[in-house]
Amino acid sequence: MTNDIFFLAEFVEGQPQRSALELAAGATRLAAQSGGQAVALAYGAGAAAGAAGLGAHGVDRVVVLGDENRPAITFAPAAAASVGDGLIFLAPATPNGRDIAAALVGKLNVPAFGPVNEINLDGTTLHAKQATLQGSVVTVSQPVDGAATPAVVLVLANTFTPAEGGSGSAEVSEAASVDDDPLARAKVVESHTEEQSAVNLEEATVIVAGGRGVGGPDGFETLGELARALGGAVGASRAAADAGWVPYQLQIGQTGKVVKPSLYLGCGISGAIQHRVGMQTAENVVAINKDPDAPIGEFADLFVVGDLFAIVPRLTDEIKRRKGA
Amino acid sequence: MKIVVCIKQVPATTADKRYEADLTLDRASVDTVINPLDEYAIEQALRLADAGKADQVVYLSMGPEQAAEALRRALAMGGDEAYLVTDAALSGADEWSTARVLASALDKLAPDVALMGMASDDARGSLVPGAVAAMRNVPLLSYGAELRLEDGVARIRRLNASGHDIIEAPMPLVASVTDQVGEPRYASLKGIMAAKRKPLETWGLSDIGLSADDLRPLTTVDSAEPPEAKPPTERVENVAPEEAATRIADWLAARKLI
Repeated sequence: MTNDIFFLAEFVEGQPQRSALELAAGATRLAAQSGGQAVALAYGAGAAAGAAGLGAHGVDRVVVLGDENRPAITFAPAAAASVGDGLIFLAPATPNGRDIAAALVGKLNVPAFGPVNEINLDGTTLHAKQATLQGSVVTVSQPVDGAATPAVVLVLANTFTPAEGGSGSAEVSEAASVDDDPLARAKVVESHTEEQSAVNLEEATVIVAGGRGVGGPDGFETLGELARALGGAVGASRAAADAGWVPYQLQIGQTGKVVKPSLYLGCGISGAIQHRVGMQTAENVVAINKDPDAPIGEFADLFVVGDLFAIVPRLTDEIKRRKGA
Repeated sequence: MKIVVCIKQVPATTADKRYEADLTLDRASVDTVINPLDEYAIEQALRLADAGKADQVVYLSMGPEQAAEALRRALAMGGDEAYLVTDAALSGADEWSTARVLASALDKLAPDVALMGMASDDARGSLVPGAVAAMRNVPLLSYGAELRLEDGVARIRRLNASGHDIIEAPMPLVASVTDQVGEPRYASLKGIMAAKRKPLETWGLSDIGLSADDLRPLTTVDSAEPPEAKPPTERVENVAPEEAATRIADWLAARKLI
């Protein structure tokens, strides 16, 4: 066993996703503790060209799994062949990250953890902290003695903070080629763009989310103005996405995105458990709802009972005024 | 065309959960349901059967003996037969051991498509579909908002950052679907009666070629505790909108969020 910490670094159009930079920060910290290297497994369009740039984030080595835009699962065979006997493999708790992590668990028969919001090392023993059973229990788990490595850990967004302004350089190599593997047979046969300016909600540090109470696309325009004033993004409950008011890319919750912003501001969202599991690790939760008994009032930090259509525009103006001051 | 839908019995969202001394959930004492996201996989399979794209829908579950109830409920929605893998050695199974059991049972059932929900309600790793695909050495199509089967090829529609992709792979394979495939049907009274006569077989580990030694979990729980109590919610009520907006802005400013 080496003490290397591997992590998945997804690239889109030559740019590392924020998850890659967050995991670089986590892997670097864990590698300093374990005495190993922080190693990125880079994949996606432009990964080869962008790989060396990860050195500035403290990464020691980058292995490029592939440079094409294809289903994430198809990179899993190369990932499994590249992790050797590293100590830990970190993957973002996104659909793509989970696909590759899952394949590693199946191929290498290694333990799986997460999604976690805290990882600690005691010597070289991993302790992974996660909420389970819809957040009703917080568990800390570890690999059993003698379990194969690397331990696979799914990591929630914003668990680690990207390091800025480093000057290190990383050694870049290409993953060894892998013989035809059934997992590599999935292929994209059509690609459709519906939203020109979609944001990646998992990367937003401020989210203004709307639910059924927002009433329609016009209401989401109002939330959009507040989000812009706060420098944040708009999210939604499943009800709002099902109603077609916003695209599904903006859905937060069990079957949408799992987010961990520093501020989540929910408007007209009741706070059903399916939504709550997507945002319960937000650092600050503010809710505006006209129903004083809405479940979100039970777990928000600040709960304002009132009419969002009257409050939100005034709040937007107030924030603009204070920021301008 | 044979579809095997893998389903899990989970505690109902509202259920009071209790833990055993070894920090595993006491699954015998709680109200249970079919994992709600697995119902979408059932619905997708039944729609394919209704459309003549599948001629056999089979259910597979791993769990304690009472998980047979979940399989009966699934059979009441439709489908042909069900299999439950149950064994004392499976208590406290982690994602790896769950995947290992399902993969071995699927080897025996040999479906064209092994279909799963995108996540389970009681543990949210979503790793089982991909791990099963890797163990069985077949392709994975995951997070499908729709599954279509045509000419030996399966296709899913999957959200991407700005729209959606159509992704295809040759069968046999493992697929997982989201809650966008269509609302699960209710079991009719007729369906419930019919389900009682449908075959439901129970397998032990030896029936799928495994032993307890093959399934030692790879993870262990150090501690299980309720989440840290948050400070009580600050409530703002019965104030004019201007006042409410000012109070929110003050609250954000005090936390350096603006």
